Amino acid sequence: MNADFGGASAAPSLSTSNAHVAIAADKLNRTVPLGDRQLTILDDVSLTVNDGETLAIVGASGSGKTTLLGLLAGLDRPNTGSVSWHGEVINTLSEDALAKKRQGTVGFVFQSFQLLPALNALENVMLPLELANNDDAESRAKEWLTRMGLGERIDHLPRQLSGGEQQRVAIARAFAASPSIVFADEPTGNLDTDTGNEIIDLMFQLNRDQKTTLILVTHDLELAARCNRHIRLARGKVIA
Amino acid sequence: MNLTLIFRFVKRELRTSEARILVLALALAVASVGAVGMFADRVKGAFANQANVLLGADALISGDRELPASLPEEAARYGLKTTQSIRFGSMVAARSNGANAGEAALSDVKAISAPYPLRGSIEIRGEPTSAEPRGKRMPIAADQSTPKPGEVFVDERLASRLNVKVGDTIDLGKLSPRIAQVFVEEPEVAGNFLSAAPKVLINANDLAASELLGPGSRASYRLQVAGARAEEFAQVIKPKLAPGQRLETVRELRPEVKNTLERSEQFLGLAASFAVFLAVVAIVLALRRYLKREIDTATIFRTLGAGRTQTLIHFIGQFALLSLIACVLGVIGAYLAQAGLAYVVRGLFASELPPAGVAPLWRAFLTGVVLLLGFALPPLVALASTPPVRALRRDMQMPGGGGVIATVLGIAAVLGVVLMQAQDLKTGFIFVGGIVALVGAASLGAAAMLWGVRRVTKARTKSAWQMGLANLDRRRLSTSIQVACLGLGVMTLITVGFVRTDLFSAWQKSLPVDAPNRFLINIQKEQVEPLTSLLKERGQDATFYPMVRGRLVAVNDKSVSGKDYVDERAKRLVDREWNMSSADAPPKGNVILSGNYFGADAKDEVSLEDGIATTLGVKLGDKLTYDIAGDKVTVTITSLRKVDWDSFRVNFFALVPKTNVDALPKSYITAFHLPTNDLKTLPAIVNAAPNVLAIDVSEVMERVRSIVEQVASALEFVFLFTLAAGLLTLYTAVVSTQDERRYDTAIVRTLGGTRTQVRNALVAEFSLLGVAAGALGVLGAVILTWALATRILKIEFVASPLVWVIGLVAATVLTLVAGWLGTRSVLSTPPIRVLREG
Ligand SMILES: Nc1ncnc2c1ncn2[C@@H]1O[C@H](COP(=O)(O)OP(=O)(O)O)[C@@H](O)[C@H]1O
Ligand SMILES: [Mg+2]
Repeated sequence: MNADFGGASAAPSLSTSNAHVAIAADKLNRTVPLGDRQLTILDDVSLTVNDGETLAIVGASGSGKTTLLGLLAGLDRPNTGSVSWHGEVINTLSEDALAKKRQGTVGFVFQSFQLLPALNALENVMLPLELANNDDAESRAKEWLTRMGLGERIDHLPRQLSGGEQQRVAIARAFAASPSIVFADEPTGNLDTDTGNEIIDLMFQLNRDQKTTLILVTHDLELAARCNRHIRLARGKVIA
Repeated sequence: MNLTLIFRFVKRELRTSEARILVLALALAVASVGAVGMFADRVKGAFANQANVLLGADALISGDRELPASLPEEAARYGLKTTQSIRFGSMVAARSNGANAGEAALSDVKAISAPYPLRGSIEIRGEPTSAEPRGKRMPIAADQSTPKPGEVFVDERLASRLNVKVGDTIDLGKLSPRIAQVFVEEPEVAGNFLSAAPKVLINANDLAASELLGPGSRASYRLQVAGARAEEFAQVIKPKLAPGQRLETVRELRPEVKNTLERSEQFLGLAASFAVFLAVVAIVLALRRYLKREIDTATIFRTLGAGRTQTLIHFIGQFALLSLIACVLGVIGAYLAQAGLAYVVRGLFASELPPAGVAPLWRAFLTGVVLLLGFALPPLVALASTPPVRALRRDMQMPGGGGVIATVLGIAAVLGVVLMQAQDLKTGFIFVGGIVALVGAASLGAAAMLWGVRRVTKARTKSAWQMGLANLDRRRLSTSIQVACLGLGVMTLITVGFVRTDLFSAWQKSLPVDAPNRFLINIQKEQVEPLTSLLKERGQDATFYPMVRGRLVAVNDKSVSGKDYVDERAKRLVDREWNMSSADAPPKGNVILSGNYFGADAKDEVSLEDGIATTLGVKLGDKLTYDIAGDKVTVTITSLRKVDWDSFRVNFFALVPKTNVDALPKSYITAFHLPTNDLKTLPAIVNAAPNVLAIDVSEVMERVRSIVEQVASALEFVFLFTLAAGLLTLYTAVVSTQDERRYDTAIVRTLGGTRTQVRNALVAEFSLLGVAAGALGVLGAVILTWALATRILKIEFVASPLVWVIGLVAATVLTLVAGWLGTRSVLSTPPIRVLREG
């Protein structure tokens, strides 16, 4: 295996006591305006995930899983409470600082793949590396696609790829920038069972190889069972 | 800024139809604006060259004493050709060769040296034929167009007066030169033709020997210049001229020519404005579609760790590069298109089209950039702040803002560009007002239509029409935008058609073939009656105007002289004698702009031409005092008139009541049309009134008419070109809004809609869109053409219901066909493919 892929990024931690904590969430609240009042969609959620751990967030549809993932991943901000990555609080960072922080710290896999339709497979994988001004973006992206079994399809556009293939491109994109944490929101939601299983195997495999922390949203209990831990949400509250 | 990434992204995005259509629309816009602008400039240049023939040069500097050598030297620095001449009045007599010995006439002598003339040529007559009983007019050979020393060229009027011909000799001062040519006309015909005496051309080297110009003789020393930079030279030299020196251009000398040129320029400017109009439609639509796709890109950028600033810089860079590509393509297209256009019309112009300058290309380039940035910058700023969480919720509302700013900026951009194109504030405002009004009307119209739709679609079972209506209702915003844009396109096309035909023929009509081409001056009171009946016998109903000459000496009892005015024309008006007349009613073609025209028994009033009042800075109620043959007459301005200079009728700057001229010494003037083959009327007039001077303006008229005709043909092509660009733009417009429709259609099919159902619903939808857009477009076109006709071009507005009906039907059919072509494929593609492409 190429040395480039080894090791998650070692972000300097501020507190030695929780050096092994990848993500900590403290009393997260998220409300959205609904008419003239506020609708609470996340209610006092706290959790910790250690380095290299895999955590599943489960719950019925509409229970707040995606909302929580967005907060943990720094894509959205809580109304109250805080999120920290490797001991550093992120939700007080400025918009641009937070974006910079995401670069190289986190990777994403979405239910709807979120590949740019105008870009071919290779270019989609290159994008996070290019944004980080990485010089060997192309060679790294190629290696990742080969590793995903898509070496022959690098110049295909997303619409020329099947759902499973698109999701593998998305996974390559998520891991290519060597993140320390990978977030996945129902990565198999748009796929049939067999393809879904393949994708999940691939993700767990990479997670072990790259020693990343994995946060996975799913409503599939079988899948949840393959993670180290899982939390269950109901109406915005952690119930287990 | 990551330039590499910007370049890569532009390369990548150019694979998508969104980016390609945007580039295409912008390139097309730039190309049509550039091509029309460039072609218009070349045509204007050609017209100006032709008009300059009337001056024999592009500009003329005259002085009452010898001009300093620095003037021709300066002209040479501008790369201009120059020639100098001296012009003065002198008696010319036939030499003792029989019966006519000693006959003499005052003539207008011009001492010239080669090269002469700089523009146009001296025209002589060929052998008489049955078709051309007086002999066909033809230009004299260029190498023979200056008399050699010892020779003269004489005007055929003078030749017939003195009864001399080629080979005879005449007496001119101390010289007796031989007549080498009898000419019909020499180029320099501009100037006050009412004082034109027959011309004699002599070689400048003979001047001294003739001793015609002694100390104290009055003469006009002239420098004529011609060349590409003549205008520039004129502008530079004008403020440097010494007292007694004057710069003259055709425009200043002949109001008819000035008006014709200005109107041609207006027409061509209009054509260019239309091109901008269409460009706006195409750009707005293509941009909207493109930006929609870019939301996804922005989301992914933000998710993958690009900050707001980085995202914004990237998008602006990407956009700048895309528009640069489009503008460069457009400019190349513009150059090729105008070259093609010039090739197509190559036979139409008397002279070769002058080469095009690059200014219109720059203007087109700038138009593209300004339009695109005006519309795109605000949404780009909004785009850069796309929240990254949108990656998790695709249905999320886009951040607002940008909308209002984009509209305001966009309108400002359009206004700026249209003003630049129209080069006229009023036209620009009418255009932009048109856009704003139309968009407003479209939104209202669409809202009303949709409101009606909702009632209709309440029914349970749905026909194709109701399905189509429901589709439009669901996409309310995009329906309004489509109706507005299509309506705008239809409006533009109808207006173009209208301008091309109706407005244009109205203009041509103002210069009918039987317009007066001869002026008779110096008619005495007792000759009016016999001449009236003489002309009446020949079917000419001529009006005779009394003419008194007076000098303006005081305004509001304060005496004035040329030195009191800064304006060149005002100086001249005060320094020279005015031709004044009286008429009981405003003469034909005159329109009272303000005040009331004086009554039959009024006294001491004056009706002044509007332009001259502006030049002199006088208004209604002001008092003007004239010195008429030693008498001081004070009159009050009681009305201001607009005079139709195009008409070649007898026109006067100042008209006073009969009572004021009755007692004064006066002559009469009239104008009539003399057909080319009429050889009897003039001799009859001379017989009846030997003192009367007949002045031929047919040459000037011919020139103006040929300019008008060439403008007509040129405009035909320019408008056809605009029309083609417009159709393409419309197609782009319909196609660029197909995505949502394709998606909806695919879903309906997935849910079990049959192909027939889907097709019928689509047909219904497009028909409704077309009818709505057509109705709005026609309405807009009627208002716009009315405004253009009455406010800008000042010609009669003719309603043409047939054009409106055709416009409405064409709009519907066009929308249907374009819409159908754009969506048809969805019926034969498996729905899943459409859905997957999103
Ligand atoms: N921006 C928002 N505005 C309004 N309601 C929202 C918004 N985001 C989430 N919700 C609501 O909050 C609830 C939780 O949503 P989500 O986190 O997507 O649940 P899950 O991913 O578990 O299905 C849902 O009822 C959803 O409709
Ligand atoms: Mg969810």
